[in-house]
Amino acid sequence: MIKRVEINYRGIFQKNLGKKIGSDIVIIASRMGRIGFSNGRYSDSPERNGIPCKYFAFVSHDLSEEELEAECGAKLDIDQCDISVVLDDTMLKGVEPWGWHGVRPINEKVQPNGTLLVVTKRTPDELLEFIAKKPYSWKLATYSGDLSFGGLWVFRDDLTHEKTLGAVAGIDSDIIGIEAAEGYLRYKTPKEPARAEAARLAYEEVRKTVRTVKPGEGVEWKHEIPVLPKWFEFMEGAAVPAVKREFSLGPKGQSRNETFKRGTTKNQRPVVRFDLCTKCTLCWLECPDQCFDQTDDGLYDIAYEYCTGCNKCAQACPVKECIVMVDELQFTDDSSPWEAYKANPEKYTEWAEDRKSTGRYIHPMVTGTGLEFLEGELVPFGGKRASPKK
Amino acid sequence: MIAEEPKTKNVYEREDLLTGCQAVSQGVRLADVDVIAAYPIRPYTEVMDALSKIIADGELDAEYIIADSEHSQFEIVKHASSVNARAFAGSSGTGWCYGFEALVVTATDRLPVLFLVGNRALDDPGAFGVEHNDAMAVRDMGWLLAWVTTPQEALEHVLIGYRIAEDKRVRMPMALAMDGAFLTHSQHMVKIPTAEAVRQFLPPYDLGEGRLHPDNPISIAPQVNEDWVMELRRQNWDAARRARGVIKEAYREFNAVFGERYSSPFFTEFMTDDADTVLIGLGTVCAPGRTACKRLREKGHKVGFVSLRWFRPFPTIELRESLKRFKAVGVIDRDFAHGSPDDGGIVMHEVRSALYPLKNRPAITNIITGLGGRDVSIDDCIRMYEIAQKSKTEDKLDNFVTWIGVRE
Ligand code: SF4
Ligand code: SF4
Repeated sequence: MIKRVEINYRGIFQKNLGKKIGSDIVIIASRMGRIGFSNGRYSDSPERNGIPCKYFAFVSHDLSEEELEAECGAKLDIDQCDISVVLDDTMLKGVEPWGWHGVRPINEKVQPNGTLLVVTKRTPDELLEFIAKKPYSWKLATYSGDLSFGGLWVFRDDLTHEKTLGAVAGIDSDIIGIEAAEGYLRYKTPKEPARAEAARLAYEEVRKTVRTVKPGEGVEWKHEIPVLPKWFEFMEGAAVPAVKREFSLGPKGQSRNETFKRGTTKNQRPVVRFDLCTKCTLCWLECPDQCFDQTDDGLYDIAYEYCTGCNKCAQACPVKECIVMVDELQFTDDSSPWEAYKANPEKYTEWAEDRKSTGRYIHPMVTGTGLEFLEGELVPFGGKRASPKK
Repeated sequence: MIAEEPKTKNVYEREDLLTGCQAVSQGVRLADVDVIAAYPIRPYTEVMDALSKIIADGELDAEYIIADSEHSQFEIVKHASSVNARAFAGSSGTGWCYGFEALVVTATDRLPVLFLVGNRALDDPGAFGVEHNDAMAVRDMGWLLAWVTTPQEALEHVLIGYRIAEDKRVRMPMALAMDGAFLTHSQHMVKIPTAEAVRQFLPPYDLGEGRLHPDNPISIAPQVNEDWVMELRRQNWDAARRARGVIKEAYREFNAVFGERYSSPFFTEFMTDDADTVLIGLGTVCAPGRTACKRLREKGHKVGFVSLRWFRPFPTIELRESLKRFKAVGVIDRDFAHGSPDDGGIVMHEVRSALYPLKNRPAITNIITGLGGRDVSIDDCIRMYEIAQKSKTEDKLDNFVTWIGVRE
């Protein structure tokens, strides 16, 4: 018997979190007399900010370590898993870890009756608006928590790690048991009972939130999964076709690489208030991924599929409330915001303000800083431009 | 697994979950290394991360020098080694190749540095997955070269490696190779030896008269003319030959201190006793290889697996004696040697060459697989056995080499 746990995390920001969870599953399982090991899978290297990545933990009650290794270790990815942990709920929109891979459903590897385990503040029903349907039934369970980002490479000690261990135990005690998890956390940090308690709370929480997802429940997956060419089917010399540079005014006016869009790297997207825009060009200049398309009226449209959510445009824009980063799960498609604005400026603006609301957070790009929570300002359509940025 | 209770009590201080790289760093700590030079490249990088932490935590007193390139990194440890400092460095893939000039002279200067090679494909294209050509590049340069297959073995071979490399009869640098990702980044439970047990096994590094020091005036690697080089090579040739005996001694000693960890120094046989067909390969392919072997045994096939550990010096006699018992040998290469005889891989050439003097040679067939980190599954290995079994009767001249795992 083999139990496979997949831990989906966001590259660099959650690398140490993902690894710690994988390690501790193995340590707790081996304290229970089980055999286990953990490894990771490379993503677009060197794990660029936000890129979806995976760690794995494998546990068996009866196989030798070598057989477990042979079954699970000598592979880059798994075929299926008992539990797939998601450490940032915006990954539910799909994961594209590298080029020529396609945007894959987050639950791709969840086996029949396996569980997708998400740390989130949303309900399972809300989440199902983003997750791909499957031909068989599987389970969805949630446990509550803030996005655990601590800056580049930094492990943010906010109990997400402990909660995840408890949640895994709550779903499948054949992987780790809750008593063993609590015992291990108490043994490791005897003066910090909050850790074992957090594990217990998440254990109880997932047992309440877990629900069966029926075959066909979920969304139709629209992204194509590429078929890689055979060895004799492509150019020799480590060369692949590139994209001819082409440009025209208007939405999607620039030619772009279809084989690696990188849009699943973001957990926030920039929302633009076109009515406040001064056409200063800074967003278009600064975006490292050339997501901004010039339009004939001097505004800049955004190709969201290519946006990695790096926050540079929002920082560069000199106009207050004009570009604001908004949680990615507030959006269900990547259609052109400029076209929506042109079709109905008032309606678009109302919609944009609704997405933005006033509670904002900026996740850290710098080591050691935590999430930054800010108060935003609502600016009605036709209203005065907000005071200039400080 | 620990086969037998060691003769010395308490040879292990604790058990910890470690990646292959972290296990090496524990070996470096226990070997009480004096100088470490670091320059990052995946998948080797994790060892420098782990070592810097070990030093910062006060668990090892060593100079930790961050170099500006692999070339400088290797030069630093070479020089450190010449003044009698036990030294450690490592690299992967093209980083390893970038330091090649330094690697070559380290061997000629007979400086017993230990290097980790976290096997990585040679870019281009930019790729991280395992391929053995990087480490193989030093195979003819006067290096010791061995592959390990688990984090436990990785830790132990830092100790075994230093002991062999530093032996007066050997004095060769040691390349400790391990499969990138599948071993460097795979976390397993590892038993960590006590410092006391390590002291019993690994004597302090002593270059003796070869030490560069004002009190011991010598000059290493002067410019020479044609009068000298051939004799130097003859010395190196001899040292590599002597190393085989020293390796055997080292494993005997290791087993005496730590229990019967290794049944034989150069390679490990699995289910070979009455086998007629075996596969032989380097590195982590042994896990699916042995598991496939077990499954075929359950169906009555007489198959076995030979996990080759030492590549330099090559265990010519031992391997010849072992493999001559079988009817067919399938050699697995996680490397390439384009345009070589029969277009086979490096390991196949060496194995075939070792078997050549036999009157009744087993049939040899070659499998190239797992390149650039491509998975090698249990089913792939079952196919390899089938191919090797067929080679007993088939004329393999036309398709001597089979690629497994390539998209075709
Ligand atoms: S957040 Fe802005 S700057 Fe960054 S990729 Fe997206 S559009 Fe470009
Ligand atoms: S930076 Fe802001 S103001 Fe300048 S063009 Fe972009 S959206 Fe408009």
